[in-house]
Amino acid sequence: MTLTIVKPGLQTSIQAGPRRGLRHQGIPANGAADPLSLALANRLVGNAWNAAAIEATLLGPTLRFSELCTFAMVGAPLRATLDGAAVALHETVTAIPGEVLEMDSMEAGARTYLAVAGGLDITEVLGSASTNLQAGFGGYNGRQLLAGDELGFCGRSVEHCSTPEEFRAPMSSSWGLRTCESSETGLLSDEARELLFSSNWCVDRRADRMGLRLDGVTLEIQSDGRMPSAAVFPGTIQCPEDGAPYILSVDAGTVGGYPRVAEVARLDRHLLGQLRPGDRARLLSRDPDDALEELRAKHEYWRPWLEDIEGII
Amino acid sequence: MSCRATELRFVLSRSADDKFSVSVGTTAEAQALAEQLRISGAWIDVVAGINSVGVQFDPLRIDATTARERIQAVIAEGVVTEPLAGACVEVPVIYGGDAGPDLDDVARRTSMSPEELVALHTGREYVVEMVGFTPGFAFVGGLDSRLRIPRRSEPRQRVPAGSVAIADGRTGLYAVASPGGWNLVGRTPITLFDPTADEPFLLRAGMRVRFKAIDA
Repeated sequence: MTLTIVKPGLQTSIQAGPRRGLRHQGIPANGAADPLSLALANRLVGNAWNAAAIEATLLGPTLRFSELCTFAMVGAPLRATLDGAAVALHETVTAIPGEVLEMDSMEAGARTYLAVAGGLDITEVLGSASTNLQAGFGGYNGRQLLAGDELGFCGRSVEHCSTPEEFRAPMSSSWGLRTCESSETGLLSDEARELLFSSNWCVDRRADRMGLRLDGVTLEIQSDGRMPSAAVFPGTIQCPEDGAPYILSVDAGTVGGYPRVAEVARLDRHLLGQLRPGDRARLLSRDPDDALEELRAKHEYWRPWLEDIEGII
Repeated sequence: MSCRATELRFVLSRSADDKFSVSVGTTAEAQALAEQLRISGAWIDVVAGINSVGVQFDPLRIDATTARERIQAVIAEGVVTEPLAGACVEVPVIYGGDAGPDLDDVARRTSMSPEELVALHTGREYVVEMVGFTPGFAFVGGLDSRLRIPRRSEPRQRVPAGSVAIADGRTGLYAVASPGGWNLVGRTPITLFDPTADEPFLLRAGMRVRFKAIDA
């Protein structure tokens, strides 16, 4: 059973759960840039939350099903048609052999996940089926999907299912990211520290799975560009000498030599996959223990629909 | 948010809701502490830097206070820095030409001939100080002080896998192709990273290495 990529979209790749425990060897997290949407898509088709799925970016792919296939799309809203008939996000859809799914451009948010009942047939590498696009391993031949690629899947029939209204994560063009101070916050001037947490930042054109540059005021930072490389993680906010903060995302390297001025708290890191160029973002200052309280509250909210929520966000 | 660790050189601080950072004196101490923390378990990731260690914990399994105490306990046990046992790994390198496009420039900037530079670089044993940044990128310490030059002002968009480069007193080995700003002096034909192998990485922190010049 195969699913053939007819048109690849802007950047479409196989993503699943993150790689963990390998950062000391330079292996980044990879995985869905928005793991919550991945989990919601897999939930609808009865897969494990971190089963391999298709991650589309800004402009979705067009694909053809060779066999009967039940799938679900969750994430950034977009117009999608199956052989010309509109299909909705957040519910299972069954395609019959030969049908073509066209996913258009996203209206808000940056990534939509397409999960297939039974899961895609992708071999795990270093603990995950996710694609590492930079080093070229995992996923489908270690690269983004191209026209003509054929993905195997083990089709399984599932009952129709849709996401309850209260669990349809809203998309926006204006985001709040709860954020804690980090190791080099002290290198910012008092005024820059205040601006970091009060500015209404604009997401730069340079926004991808590696990270997102924020445009706005220039932050004054004491740095000679020679900071010894230190551990960084998805959510780490670096401030290079040019004074423009840069939020690292799932594919970012594991150590970096720029001052780490803040960290997006765990509960909001899944949002990084949905920020698109031109969006607005505020970094909301949080005490680390308060951020953990809010994480627990967020888990309580999602648990009735996603029982594995503690592993997802 | 900082507090004095038992070892005065080590300073432990909270660096995010789910992270701690420990600043240490040397890269060897960072590696040793990171390894001892990994052995002690309970962490999502423990990553050594040049003179610090980042620890990510799962706040749903241990609270921040417990995490802090466990890190302090490992520090209090004492951090032992020792090179890894085992033979010195010989890394064959094609110096100069297309394999090392910056060799002549580095030689000029360090006031020596390319031949002298190669002789100096191959003339001693080194220790892998740290692996990271990109998959398997090896930071190799102990470069002769005469070869101490900064990174290039203009990083390259793509440095090929296997590139052997120097900057800031270290040799760097690019295990995979990536952007990079180090000065490329050569390239090794051996595979440094094979994600599908049982042991994906040829080099680990603490290993001893020696470079050997080979013909293209």
